[in-house]
Amino acid sequence: MPQLILSPDVYDAIIVGSGAGGGMAAYILAKAGAKSLMLEAGSWFDAARDSKWLEWGYDAPHRAAPTPEHPFDYFNATVGGWEVQGEPYTSAPGTEWMWFRSRMLGGRTNAWGRISLRNGPYDFKPYSRDGKGSDWPIGYGDLAPYYDKVEELIGVFGSCERLENCPDGKFLPPPTPRCYELLVQKACGNLGINCVPSRLAILTRPLNGRPACHYVAQCGRCCRLSSNFSSPAVLLIPAQATGNLEIRCDAMVREVLTDGDGRATGVSYIDKKTRQEVQVRGKVIVLAASACETARLLLNSRSRQFPTGLANSSGMVGKYVMDTVMSDVKGFLPSLMDLPPHNEDGVGGMHLYMPWWNYQKQLRHELPFSRGYHIEFGGGRRGMPGPELWSGSERFLGGGYGLELKQGCRKLYGAFVDFHGRGEMIPNKESYCEIDKEVVDQWGIPVLKFHFKWGEEEILMARHMQETFQEIVRTLRGEVIRSAGPEERWGISRGGECIHEIGGARMGDDQKTSVLNPYCQAWDCKNLFVADGAPFVSSADKNPTLTIMALAWRASEYIADQVRKKNL
Amino acid sequence: MEQKKASKIAVRLDRRAILRLMTAMPAGALFSGTQRALGAPQEMAAKLASQEAAAPYRPKIFNPHEWKTVHVLCDLIIPADERSVSATTAGVPEFIDDWLDFKRGSLLSTIRGGLTWLDMECNRLFGSDFTASTASQRKQILDRVAYPKKAALEDASAVAFFNQFRDLVVNGFFTSEIGIRDLPYLGNEPQSEWQGCPTPVLTQLGLVSKSTDS
Repeated sequence: MPQLILSPDVYDAIIVGSGAGGGMAAYILAKAGAKSLMLEAGSWFDAARDSKWLEWGYDAPHRAAPTPEHPFDYFNATVGGWEVQGEPYTSAPGTEWMWFRSRMLGGRTNAWGRISLRNGPYDFKPYSRDGKGSDWPIGYGDLAPYYDKVEELIGVFGSCERLENCPDGKFLPPPTPRCYELLVQKACGNLGINCVPSRLAILTRPLNGRPACHYVAQCGRCCRLSSNFSSPAVLLIPAQATGNLEIRCDAMVREVLTDGDGRATGVSYIDKKTRQEVQVRGKVIVLAASACETARLLLNSRSRQFPTGLANSSGMVGKYVMDTVMSDVKGFLPSLMDLPPHNEDGVGGMHLYMPWWNYQKQLRHELPFSRGYHIEFGGGRRGMPGPELWSGSERFLGGGYGLELKQGCRKLYGAFVDFHGRGEMIPNKESYCEIDKEVVDQWGIPVLKFHFKWGEEEILMARHMQETFQEIVRTLRGEVIRSAGPEERWGISRGGECIHEIGGARMGDDQKTSVLNPYCQAWDCKNLFVADGAPFVSSADKNPTLTIMALAWRASEYIADQVRKKNL
Repeated sequence: MEQKKASKIAVRLDRRAILRLMTAMPAGALFSGTQRALGAPQEMAAKLASQEAAAPYRPKIFNPHEWKTVHVLCDLIIPADERSVSATTAGVPEFIDDWLDFKRGSLLSTIRGGLTWLDMECNRLFGSDFTASTASQRKQILDRVAYPKKAALEDASAVAFFNQFRDLVVNGFFTSEIGIRDLPYLGNEPQSEWQGCPTPVLTQLGLVSKSTDS
């Protein structure tokens, strides 16, 4: 067998990665009539067959406890995780970086939290507002029509609240709150914190042949009935139905190929099943491999013409990598003890959340940090009880054994609430990735080396999270049982831990300081586009997936338009 | 083994049938039918599981004496009451053995060391190991280690052992099929509409005003 296979076909578009961004690019391009090839580094995944929907913990290994292969729990749909066998990465001394990678069709969309928040007007122009970071070359108005279209296609529930910098959308009706959520909402009302219906890509009404949610809180397992959004169910199946999309899994792309004129001609990938290199040709290349994988691909695509990597004349590829700031508090709420039996599963996520409520305070410089965060919270009787739920019960019951303990543990069930801050990081020069020249993965591809540092403002934000969440618990006459102080830097997460890594190929108005133009098109290589989180200029506290899809839709429409105008 | 395979296949086939139901039926009529259908495979699985339980479990971690001690201790921690059976009937010793084999490390040494301490202490005080001691002798030992705030400083490591062992028993019990029903965890049941928080709970939480109650 030859070691190098040259594929004879020339595709209109080659899309690298099948997650939110790649899926959306494939959907738009295939519908526009482009003969497209999708390459996915992971294996095939079909939720209708592979989801562990409705399985019980007592039928699963170790009551479904997390393992390295199943980093959340046995039921979670993720293939991949914090470690991917044979595909390492490295970190510079002093950097604590965690890089979560899905290796499956649909990527992280199979198991994600479905939180679908629009970036607001401030989020696109942060530099103009507070003088930190950089502005996007586009504004909210440029992306708003695409947010509309994405929400209408995938289905997002929520409520119109007209809150500052938290734009409303095209929402399905939200599910009514759970019991503990109502209790927390009441406390937030006393504290002046908005607590409103969350915005999740889960159907509360049937949509486009997909049935409504059946409320078993199992979105992380990926829904067998496609009642929530995942790229395979909502984007890839319809894209394939056009006859224009071919999907190849187990295809680990190593570089983008270019000709002497600076155009991309195709990609080279390793077929993981045979370990052979395959080269495929395409007229347009769309990278949606996930922010850091896309940066890695560009940096590894070196040629005489592009000696520091493709699309990197600015030197900005891999730069300004961001993640979301996280800090948690857990509270024990005696008022939730011994409640009448009730089912609190609901959708696979929170029914309420707290958007950032201090924009005006920050405008008046009354807070020691410039950007916002929102609060996510869980607890009560939501979800199937896991095998460590009662650990440390002696703290609340005083210990003991026998009938009294048995009764005590029943009463304790559901009496805990946990709060999770999700905040905006200001991009900084010390957070970036580059190629580690000394290490390759098992496919012979040089790996990434990460550098990461939180800024002082992020630490101060984590402190504010801690103080706020503890105040909510106290307002509820509860006991704070997990918190963090200054010695733990207020419990701030490690970089990458939120699995919201973005940036690394940012867009801009100036090709000297950005990799991509406002349509996610590489300044240096006209027929190369990026459709994942890499183009992000700032992070916002809003979860990135909805914006990734809106940007990907906009870029893909632009591609189709430019092809029609024969500009590509 | 054959039986185990049969039960797994039976459950899976029935779930497929549920899926067919759910996709084929009109939305309104959907879930009353599925809920009934769900009952059948669950009952079947339970029946087959109890048949499986008839074959003796072979511990992966514990020796026969430890295994006996674990059983006695499990039922002292979670005995049967009017609502549900005891920890051993719910399969907690098997859960603990599997969990320790899975976790290993310091948890395993804490648990085995603690079981040994129980015997040594009973031998020293009563001249018999823990399982051979009388009910009141066992109570005397457990009362020393089961209440962390009241325990003597020199019993600290035994208290730490008992906290961990109690966690294993409680977690194992309330995540077993029996424990899930005991709680009760009422989820993992497809719903046609989300009902929200029921009135009795709202009332207890003080979230319903008296006027809207009536």
